[in-house]
Amino acid sequence: MAKQTFTTGQVLTAAQMTSLQQTAMGGGPATAKTASYVLVAADAGTTVAMNAAGSTTITVNTGLFAAGDTVFIQNLGAGACTVTAGTATVATAGSLILPQNDAGILYFTATGAAIFYDYIQVGAASPLTTKGDLYTYSTSDARLAVGANGTTLVADSAEATGLKWATASSGGMTLLSTTTLSGASTTISSIDQTYKDLKIVGKNIYGSGTGQFQLEFNGDTGNNYANSNVNGNGTTVSTTQEESAPYFVLGYHGSNNTFSKTTNFDITIPRYSETEYHPFNSDLTGYPTSLSVWIYYTSRLRWNNTAAITQLKFMTSSGTFSAGTIFIYGVK
Amino acid sequence: MTKPMVRIHDVATDEIIDREMTDAEFTQHKKRQQIAATQEAEAEAKATAKAVLLERLGITQDEANLLLS
Repeated sequence: MAKQTFTTGQVLTAAQMTSLQQTAMGGGPATAKTASYVLVAADAGTTVAMNAAGSTTITVNTGLFAAGDTVFIQNLGAGACTVTAGTATVATAGSLILPQNDAGILYFTATGAAIFYDYIQVGAASPLTTKGDLYTYSTSDARLAVGANGTTLVADSAEATGLKWATASSGGMTLLSTTTLSGASTTISSIDQTYKDLKIVGKNIYGSGTGQFQLEFNGDTGNNYANSNVNGNGTTVSTTQEESAPYFVLGYHGSNNTFSKTTNFDITIPRYSETEYHPFNSDLTGYPTSLSVWIYYTSRLRWNNTAAITQLKFMTSSGTFSAGTIFIYGVK
Repeated sequence: MTKPMVRIHDVATDEIIDREMTDAEFTQHKKRQQIAATQEAEAEAKATAKAVLLERLGITQDEANLLLS
């Protein structure tokens, strides 16, 4: 029964008494709503029952209700019904969102201020709605939607809930690039500078003839390349040493494309992105076609330049590269 | 005269450019080839001198290795 203004001597009917009794006991007839609704003054003391398949709102405005007035709001429909502050304020210790079969009492403390007593209180109501949701907390219970496939949950104090989904950081070594050798030289530029070490692997390299397999950094053509090398073919061992060459000679490649006779190497450059001299090791096995023998080259090299290494240039002293792949890995 | 081709792979953008060497690159390339040729000639001369010495001593490479081991 809607709120009444009784007058002296007024006689209540049996129906009115029954309705009053029901309202006093928390029941009473409900005004059915099937779409979003704005409360009116006549709703004071009544039950507003929302019943809609989709989401709806019940808006609360000022100037319609007096302190002490109540409106019982229930949601019968599948769509969530949200009690929304229009021009009045609406406070709650629970949730203003009523899922299906939830209810609450809107109690006015002033004409423009109400408290919504949600029947299902925080802690009892789940904010979860979707497969994979996580139950988290910010200043109240909160839903964290599942992240994209393959992402992992990480702590982040900048986030409202202190959590977020992020791409999993890879292991210690990450493949940064794959380059096929071509021409008389192949330059690999714009190397990621966010790793500690670089590991460079070269596979199945051969050229149009037998030639030196050379390496240059950052386009530096000065005499800044030092090399102490030991090489052997299984029978004899030789050493070479150069203090100020214009490039590194890592060894030789041949022209034989038989897998077992191509050139392969492995280089690790520690602290490549730091601005200091760059000493490193290289191991290369090549098969100079002109010598018809395997030669193994192990070298201790040093680039006498303090620039961070951002570019590699692989060169052949003879003809062009016919094939070969360079893999660059960043090591954390 | 056609200059040799070079490849440039920008791994930040994954852009690959195949083009002829510039004049400056070609000059540098020829300089490197000359250095390499000199080094190879020196290595060959060293190997020849070694073979001559072995012959003069009347020992084989394996015997020389044995002496030095």
